[in-house]
Amino acid sequence: MKNLVYIRGTKEGLVLQLDDQCAYTDMLNELKAKVSDPALDGSAEVQLHLGNRYCTEAQYKEVVATIQNNSHLRVSKMRSEVISVEESNKRIQERQSETYVGIVRSGQVVKAEGDLVVVGDVNPNGRVVAGGNIYVLGRLKGIAHAGANGNREAVIAASWLEATHLMIDDSIETMTDELSVLSEQPEMECAYLHSNGQNIVIDRLQELRYIRPQISTFKGGS
Amino acid sequence: MGEAIVITSGKGGVGKTTTTANLGTALALQGKKVCLIDTDIGLRNLDVILGLENRIIYDLVDVLEGRCKVHQALVKDKRFEDMLYLLPAAQTTDKNAINPDQMKELVTELKKDYDFVIIDCPAGIEQGYKNAVAGADRAIVVTTPEISAVRDADRIIGLLELEENIEPPKLIINRIRQHLMKAGEALDINEITTHLSIDLLGIVADDESVISSSNRGEPVVMNPANPAAMGYRNIARRLLGESVPLMTMDKQSTGVFSKIKAIFAK
Repeated sequence: MKNLVYIRGTKEGLVLQLDDQCAYTDMLNELKAKVSDPALDGSAEVQLHLGNRYCTEAQYKEVVATIQNNSHLRVSKMRSEVISVEESNKRIQERQSETYVGIVRSGQVVKAEGDLVVVGDVNPNGRVVAGGNIYVLGRLKGIAHAGANGNREAVIAASWLEATHLMIDDSIETMTDELSVLSEQPEMECAYLHSNGQNIVIDRLQELRYIRPQISTFKGGS
Repeated sequence: MGEAIVITSGKGGVGKTTTTANLGTALALQGKKVCLIDTDIGLRNLDVILGLENRIIYDLVDVLEGRCKVHQALVKDKRFEDMLYLLPAAQTTDKNAINPDQMKELVTELKKDYDFVIIDCPAGIEQGYKNAVAGADRAIVVTTPEISAVRDADRIIGLLELEENIEPPKLIINRIRQHLMKAGEALDINEITTHLSIDLLGIVADDESVISSSNRGEPVVMNPANPAAMGYRNIARRLLGESVPLMTMDKQSTGVFSKIKAIFAK
């Protein structure tokens, strides 16, 4: 009979390769037998490779528990070749850029899962919220919340950054007079979370390529 | 078939009712048949400004609840032949007494007989606002050169832009005091229009006679020499499709000031 569970050593460490064609319970039983083998007594970290098997959150926990309860092995990483459609859609959405053309007026909220581009002003008490970055081609005079789903790398850029409130993930900055004096000239600016993880800082937009080089997804060119 | 225009602002006290009364009067003076509807139920005062308070018999709620016919409730302003009518608001109930569907039906009915149906909207964005905008084809947003009024105007414009049946709203900047604007103490016209980014329909100077004439029950627009009246007359002409250049406040203020100076010189 074909082995359903392989243990192999690679240069990244010990890998537990689980068969992805057999029944889940068969795989689990064999896994239990394999890891309970008294020959495997040293404690080590293993990586779990699930291949093309889709595991629900509960099943994944069960697999990890089976390994960790019956041996000294610790699961450091899990790799699967499949994700659900839902998850895939979510990832696409998070990477997508949505465009809103018009003015975000007082009391209005514009939300995007991924990046948000606003072509127009964001007026005081208007709110723009994005899971990713926010770019305003106009005057940002209201409230901007970037990285709303926990992306602390997100930035807020505007051709005229005069927001009353800036938020990135769960950090909030109210713009003081001091800051607005600096932005009296129409200079393109961007706001990002400082590496201390607390303060939101504002810099010239030209600096963005050095501050967050990963935002640029453009490949090629000459 | 006439058209229905709602006059709104969000904030209270910026001059919605005064604007309604004066635009209505100005349009009637231009030979248009006008019906004004006061939708500020419970706090009516369009009738007072027009000096028609003591002639009210039935009101808006009576009409909508079928206690009378529309023409019985309409109060005719005798100063303007057969041109200006008012449908007053009820004072004994509140804004929840009517609903947007009823208003829409009523306004559609009135549009058949009048060139303009002008709806005076109450302050706020609740039921009263919803009732007032329900039947409108166009909207005029009134604001003053104050930040609070401009903020509320912005909110109202946002809501009006969501209404599918209403054309993009137009702006009136009311109660302009030239000396404050010049000194940079008040927002200037350019600042307001770029901030709100909608078309400017007209500007109206702040003038004391607006208050005194309202107290007398005569809309100020009846006195053609008054600076505020000129603003309202120009707006009425623009509503009728004429292209009237924006009046220069400079000339006007020197006019007023020189008049005052002249008084003191005597």
